Amino acid sequence: MSKEDLFRSIDHMYMSPAPHLTMEFQGGEPTLVPELIKEGILYSESKREQTGKSVTYVICTNSVNIPDHLLDFCSNYNVVFSTSLDGPEWLHNTNRGKSDSYQKVIAGIEKVRDAIGEYKVSALMTTSELSLDHPKEIIDAYRANKFNSIFIRSLNPYGLAKDNEDWPRYFDRFVEFYKIALDYIIEINKSGELFVEELTTMILKKILTPFPIGFVDLQSPSGIVNGVIVYNYDGYVYASDESRMLAENGDYKFRLGKITDNYESIFYGRRVQEVSRVWATEYIAGCSECAYLSICGADPVRNYSTQGDEYGFRPSSTLCKKNMSIINHIFHLLDTRREELMPIFQRWITGVE
Amino acid sequence: MCCQPPNNSNDLERNYIKNIKLIDSAPSTLPSIGITGGEPTLLGDKLFSLISHIKAKLPETEIHLLTNGRAFADITYAKKLKQCGTDNILLGIPLHSDCSIDHDYITQSKGSFDETMLGLYNLERCGFDVELRIVLNRITCQRLPQMANFIYRNLPFVRYVAFMGMEYTGYTIKNHDLVWIDPLDYKDQLETAVCELNRWGLNVSVFNLTHCVLNENLWKFAVKSISDWKNEYAEFCDECALKEKCCGLFATSRKQSKGLQPIKVILCE
Repeated sequence: MSKEDLFRSIDHMYMSPAPHLTMEFQGGEPTLVPELIKEGILYSESKREQTGKSVTYVICTNSVNIPDHLLDFCSNYNVVFSTSLDGPEWLHNTNRGKSDSYQKVIAGIEKVRDAIGEYKVSALMTTSELSLDHPKEIIDAYRANKFNSIFIRSLNPYGLAKDNEDWPRYFDRFVEFYKIALDYIIEINKSGELFVEELTTMILKKILTPFPIGFVDLQSPSGIVNGVIVYNYDGYVYASDESRMLAENGDYKFRLGKITDNYESIFYGRRVQEVSRVWATEYIAGCSECAYLSICGADPVRNYSTQGDEYGFRPSSTLCKKNMSIINHIFHLLDTRREELMPIFQRWITGVE
Repeated sequence: MCCQPPNNSNDLERNYIKNIKLIDSAPSTLPSIGITGGEPTLLGDKLFSLISHIKAKLPETEIHLLTNGRAFADITYAKKLKQCGTDNILLGIPLHSDCSIDHDYITQSKGSFDETMLGLYNLERCGFDVELRIVLNRITCQRLPQMANFIYRNLPFVRYVAFMGMEYTGYTIKNHDLVWIDPLDYKDQLETAVCELNRWGLNVSVFNLTHCVLNENLWKFAVKSISDWKNEYAEFCDECALKEKCCGLFATSRKQSKGLQPIKVILCE
């Protein structure tokens, strides 16, 4: 990405009405251009001081080669690192198709922790088909590496992952995987160790509290544009991460404009107006009459990429089936094991031990 | 609720002058000053001149204002309080039920629930600290767990939540059959409500109830809340291992719980 595009994107970011902003550097591998990250953060900081907004910076990295000078720089600002950890060594390396990826990631995580702080690095798990048979091993690998939470999340049928052959079967297996993982995590918490499952916590927060969550996938109106926007290295603006993945495969359906366009023509432009007609659960068939309307979210990009149109068709939607199964399961737990589980769930939500 | 004891004469002007004099004669080190009633917001704008006077004379003193909160349903009234310039103020506001009909029945004033709720939102909007007060009586105590849920879902911003045992005097005696209940008879509902709010991270306390009428789980929430001039202990309290931590009794209450008894053995925590 050019410096001009980077600064122009940051200008847009500060035009957003939101008081709290998150600026996430994605790649490829952003740490390959550390100077650009630094310039971006410095430019943003100058605007932050003028506007009084709060900003969190996230660097999404494979953790393999984070330069020392970048870590030194980051320790002065509100920067967190996000990396990928799929579970135990053999599983992580098999998923990544490399023999030494795990060692490098773990070393990178430790390096960030030493340089800028214990809780400044988080990990995301990719649940491959192979992962589905090993929920406990994955959770134990997170615990062994001193993480006190995990985000059990399924693959999205985008980008490279689109080659997976049998998605309905994958999601059925994923739901079983989720249930076993959650049960195991609950047992860990009952033994006195605080260990949080993030997806459950977000859904519980929607069910039990008056507070909103920032998770793009479970929002209505949709998280795209309203909660996230992607400024891409190709000079264009996309509705979401997934929209950018589609573009990588030659489909520019969710390209909203050029980075050089003005703010209004992107955020209130024709393309956003079109998508806004299908981006709320309140007014799309199969969602508008669903009991979980306020808990679930609308996802036009996902509908488009899996079903061929933005509106989507709920009866055959794997997303709908997966979310329904998971929310059902959480209500089932609240219904049958309330006394036992509420203290644990409340601790996850409040973060108070 | 009401002033204790009830008073029908118009004493506003006389008391106002008297209060100004009291403020003028108070030491500057006074930690806290309570403004109560009746209903202090019935003073209208005079309440603000009183508060401004305290702010000028006793800038370090914390003000504890007890009000039903209804006047603050008018946002301009809340903003006027803000203009008094004191950040050192805590508003104690009673909420009697999560159910508007029950709340309005207890206040004997239709629409008071809606006004108090709106008042609470306006006060939060202006950045005030609020202590929500739940007076425990026969009518409201059956829904305490639901009340806790209502508070968390609708008023999670309040600074404190206080569950308050009732003083058996004034209108309580007159309405004995309707409102009096022995704390022993609601101790489980109270425990559920307090523990629920505590787990949600709210700052919860139990006022005016002795340790011996509370489930042991609630002892750590019980505070010494009774004003010294009307606080007493029973003779057998001398035998109680928790007397020092306990709020004791209202000397003014003409009826006490059947559960009063010295606690002799403290189990290890």
